[in-house]
Amino acid sequence: MWIYDKKLQYPVKIKNPNANYAKIIVSQLGGADGELAASMRYLHQRYSMPYKEVVGILTDVGTEELAHLEMIAAILYQLTKGLSPEEIKRAGLDTYFVDHTIGIYPASAAGVPFDMKYVGIKGDIIADLNEDLAAEQKARVTYDNILRLVDDPDVRDPIKYLRQRELVHYQRFGETKRADLRRFSGIMTVKSNLFSIGCFLYIPYYFRISVLLNKNFVYQNIANAAFFIEGCFFPFTR
Amino acid sequence: MNEKEMLLKKIQAEDFAVYETVLFLDTHPEDKTALAFYCTHRDNVEKLKEEYMEKFGPLTIYENRDSDGWHWLDKPWPWEREAN
Repeated sequence: MWIYDKKLQYPVKIKNPNANYAKIIVSQLGGADGELAASMRYLHQRYSMPYKEVVGILTDVGTEELAHLEMIAAILYQLTKGLSPEEIKRAGLDTYFVDHTIGIYPASAAGVPFDMKYVGIKGDIIADLNEDLAAEQKARVTYDNILRLVDDPDVRDPIKYLRQRELVHYQRFGETKRADLRRFSGIMTVKSNLFSIGCFLYIPYYFRISVLLNKNFVYQNIANAAFFIEGCFFPFTR
Repeated sequence: MNEKEMLLKKIQAEDFAVYETVLFLDTHPEDKTALAFYCTHRDNVEKLKEEYMEKFGPLTIYENRDSDGWHWLDKPWPWEREAN
C-alpha cells in the first residue's frame, strides 16, 4: 500500500502564473509519455515479474513517478492560480477552462484525456523492460520540448529535475535488462529445474501433434518451437 | 528563506539521496558501499524529519503526535507555493 508523504519530492515555487505554460506542461500529467502513464505502467507491470529485484525496481520507480505526477500538478496549480478570464482566453486555455475551470485534469496538451492505451503491459519481462526503456526516453524528449518552449526559471528548475530523473530511470531499467539473471537469488535452483523439465515435456508433444496433422506445418512448428525454447532458456543462459 | 523552508529543503535533499540509493540497490543488491550510504542518509532523514515534525506538524498520517488536535489537515498542502 502507499503512504503519503506530505511534501513534494523537489520544491516547486512559481512566482508568475502563465496560462501558455500550463497548456503545454499538462502533457506530462495526462499525455502519452507523461507521469500518469509511467506510474501506471511500472506499478502494473510489477505483478507478473518473475524476479524480486525487477518487482523492486518497478515498485520504486513507479512510486517515484506518482511523486512526479504530484509535482506536475503542483506546477500546473501554481501556473493557473489567479488567472483572469482574459489571460485564459488569450492563451487558448479557454477550451480546457470551460470543462475543468482551473481544476487539474490529466489530458494531453492537445486536449486528449488520459488513456490506458498509452501503457504497454505484456506480462513478459523482455517486452515490458524494453517498453520501459522506450517510455523513459519519450518522457525525456517531452521534457526537452517543454524546456524549448518555456523561459521562466522558476518553471524550468523543477522541469530540469524531472528530466534528469528520467535519464536515471533509463539507466536503472537498462541495468535490470542487462543483468545476469542468474545472479537473482532463488530462481536458478528452484524455478529453472521445473521450467527446463516443463520445456522438454512440452516441445516433443507439440512436435508429435503437428507432424500428425499436416507435414507442411512441420517447418513452421520447428521455428515456433525454437522461439519457445529460446524463451524458456533465455533467463538461464545469458 | 525561513526556518521551515530551510529544514524542508534539507529533508528533500536527504530524502532524495535515500531514494536514489534505493533505486541503485534494487539493481545492485549486493553493493555494500551503496548500502552503507543508504543507512547514513536514512538516519539523517529520520533526524531531520523528527525536528521538522516537532515544530511544523506531521508529514504522514502516522505522525500526528499532538493528541490535542488533528494537524494532518493543516495548510498549506504541498502543491501550494507557501509550502515550498
